[in-house]
Amino acid sequence: MNENEIVISVKDLVKVYPAATHLLGDGGKEKLAVDRISFDIHRGEIFGMLGPNGAGKTTTIKMLSTLLIPTSGTATVLGMDPSKDSMKLRSRINLVSGGERGLYFRLTGRQNLDFFSDMYQVPREKKKKRVQDLLDLVGLTDSADIRVENYSRGMKQRLHLARGLVNEPEVLFLDEPTLGLDPEIARETRALIKKLSREGMTIMLTTHYMFEADELCDRLAIISNGVIKGIGSPYSMKDAVRNDTIIEVEAGEITQSQKEQMKALPGVSAVSLESLEGRMMARMVVMDAATLIPTVASLLEGQRIISIKVDQPTLEDAYLKMVSDK
Amino acid sequence: MINLRAVKAALKQQATHFFVDPQWVIPSIIAPFIFTTVTLFLFSHTGGDLLLYAILGGGVLGMWGNTIQSSSWSIGYDRMNGTLEAIMVTPTSLSSVVLGRCLWNSFIGLLNALAVFLVAQFAFGIDVTLRDPAGFIIALVLTLISLSVLGMVFGAFYVVTRASSALFQMLEFPVYVLSGAVYSLAILPEWTRPFSYVIPATWGAEALKIATFTGYDSLGIGYWGALAILAFTTVIFLALSLRLFTYLEEKAKVSGTLVRY
Ligand SMILES: Nc1ncnc2c1ncn2[C@@H]1O[C@H](COP(=O)(O)OP(=O)(O)OP(=O)(O)O)[C@@H](O)[C@H]1O
Ligand SMILES: [Mg+2]
Repeated sequence: MNENEIVISVKDLVKVYPAATHLLGDGGKEKLAVDRISFDIHRGEIFGMLGPNGAGKTTTIKMLSTLLIPTSGTATVLGMDPSKDSMKLRSRINLVSGGERGLYFRLTGRQNLDFFSDMYQVPREKKKKRVQDLLDLVGLTDSADIRVENYSRGMKQRLHLARGLVNEPEVLFLDEPTLGLDPEIARETRALIKKLSREGMTIMLTTHYMFEADELCDRLAIISNGVIKGIGSPYSMKDAVRNDTIIEVEAGEITQSQKEQMKALPGVSAVSLESLEGRMMARMVVMDAATLIPTVASLLEGQRIISIKVDQPTLEDAYLKMVSDK
Repeated sequence: MINLRAVKAALKQQATHFFVDPQWVIPSIIAPFIFTTVTLFLFSHTGGDLLLYAILGGGVLGMWGNTIQSSSWSIGYDRMNGTLEAIMVTPTSLSSVVLGRCLWNSFIGLLNALAVFLVAQFAFGIDVTLRDPAGFIIALVLTLISLSVLGMVFGAFYVVTRASSALFQMLEFPVYVLSGAVYSLAILPEWTRPFSYVIPATWGAEALKIATFTGYDSLGIGYWGALAILAFTTVIFLALSLRLFTYLEEKAKVSGTLVRY
C-alpha cells in the first residue's frame, strides 16, 4: 500500500443546482452550492469536511460518489471520473449518510444487508459470512433478525455503516456519520471509523463538530458557502488564530444586534453567542484584546456585565473565524 | 444493463415486503374478492358468455390497474423511504431492481385472477369453463408482465419527481378503456384505434378473450397473432422504459432531485 498514492483528486470543482422547474409558477433561482474547490486525499487517510449548514459538504460528497454531476472542474476517484465511469467506480466505493432514512424498515437488519450484498454482486459463497461478520462488527448480531422499524436510532446508524461496508469499499464516504447519536454511540462510531482507517480504508467524512474532526481526521477542509477556507491537519488550523486572542464576556443579556456591533468592531474576526442559565456569553476572536475591552464594555452598558475574561484561542475558535463572513 | 441476480434479489425483497406488510393484502386479495362478488351479484342471472365476460372484465381485468400501480410505485417507494440513493450508489442499474419488483407484482396479479375464479366457482357455484385454459394462463402471464412493464415506464419518472403519481393517475384510466379490457373495443370511436393498438394490454385482452370464448376473434388475427403482437409491443415498452431510466437518472444527477421527497 502506497501511503502517498492520491486516491481522490479534486480540482476547481463547481456545482450549480439548476433552477427548479415547476409546472405552475416560476421555479426559483439556481444555486451555487460548491464554488471551485480543490483538494487531494491520500490512500488510508481520514479526510474531513467541516462547515456550517448549507456549506456544500453533502454536494461535494455526492459528486465524488457518482450521485451528482458537477457543473465544471474535475474530480478523480481511484483514477476514475465519477460522472463517466460511475458503474465501474461504484463497486469500489460506498456512501453512508447520517439520519433515519435509507434502510428498508420492514425488513430485518440481515435482510437489508443481504439485499445490498446482491446489489453489489458479492460472491455468493462469501455473502453469508460477510453479512454475519458485518453484523458482529457493528454489534447487531443479537438484533439481526428483528425488523429495522424496531431498531433504535443508534442501531439504525450502525446498520447504515454495515451497509456501507458490504462491498468492502476502498473508499468510504460518510456524510455526518454521528448525526443524532448519543455521545456514547457517537464515540463507538468514531472508534469504528478509526479501526476501518487503520485497516487501510480511505475515508472522507463530513461533520459539524470541530472536536470530531480533530479526533478523527488526518487532514480536514473547512468549507463555508461553497468555498474552502482552509485545509490541513487539525493542528495546523490553529494557524488561523495564531496571532489572535479571545475575549469572553458574560452579561445578563446580550442582544443579537449587540453581537453584530461587536463583530463590526475593528480587529474582531468572529463572535459567537451562547446562552447560559439566566445569562449570556459572547466569545470574540480578536487581534488586540487590551485595547478592545473598554469598547466592548461600553457597548454592553446597562446589560449587567458579569465578567470579562481573556483566553487562548482553541481549534473551535479557528473554525469559527474561518467560517465567519467577515 | 439488466443483472439477473439483482432482479432476483429485488423480487425476493418485494415478496418479503408483501408478506410483512398487511396493507398490500387489501388491493391484492380483498379487492378482487369484492369486485368479483359485486359483478356476480349483478350478472349471475344472465349466464353463458355474458356472465363469463363480466367475470373477465370486472374481475380479472379489473385488477390490472393494481399491477400497473404497484409497478410504477416501486421507485416511488424508495424515494419516500430514502433508499433511492442507497440503490443508486450500487453498481446495479435501477431498472434491474424495478424489473424484479414488477415480476413479483405480475405474480400477484395471477393470484388475483385465481381468487376471482375461486370466488365464482365456490362461493357462487358458477361453472367457469374456458375454451382453452392453458392458452388462457399463458396469455394471462404475458399480459401481466406487459402491464408491469407499462408500470415501469410510468415508474421511471419517480427517479426525477414524486409528481410521478399524478402522471400515473392521469394515464391509468385511458389504458383501461383503450385496451378493451373492461369494455369491448367495438364501442370506442374509430380514431382511438391507433392508441389502443400500441398498448400491449389490448393484445393481451384479445388473446384472453379468444382463449375464453368459442368463436371469438374480434381483431381477426387469432390467438397466436395476438400473443405475438403482445410480446412485440411489450419488448418495445421494455426498451423504452430502460432508455427512460438511463435518461432520467442522468437528469436527476444534474438537478440533484434524487433525494427530495
Ligand atoms: N437538490 C438541490 N437542489 C437545489 N439546491 C440544493 C440541493 N441540494 C442542496 N442545495 C443547496 O446547496 C447548498 C449546499 O447544500 P449541501 O447540502 O451541500 O450543504 P451541507 O454542507 O451538506 O449542509 P448541511 O450541513 O446542512 O448538511 C445549500 O444552499 C442547499 O440549499
Ligand atoms: Mg449535508
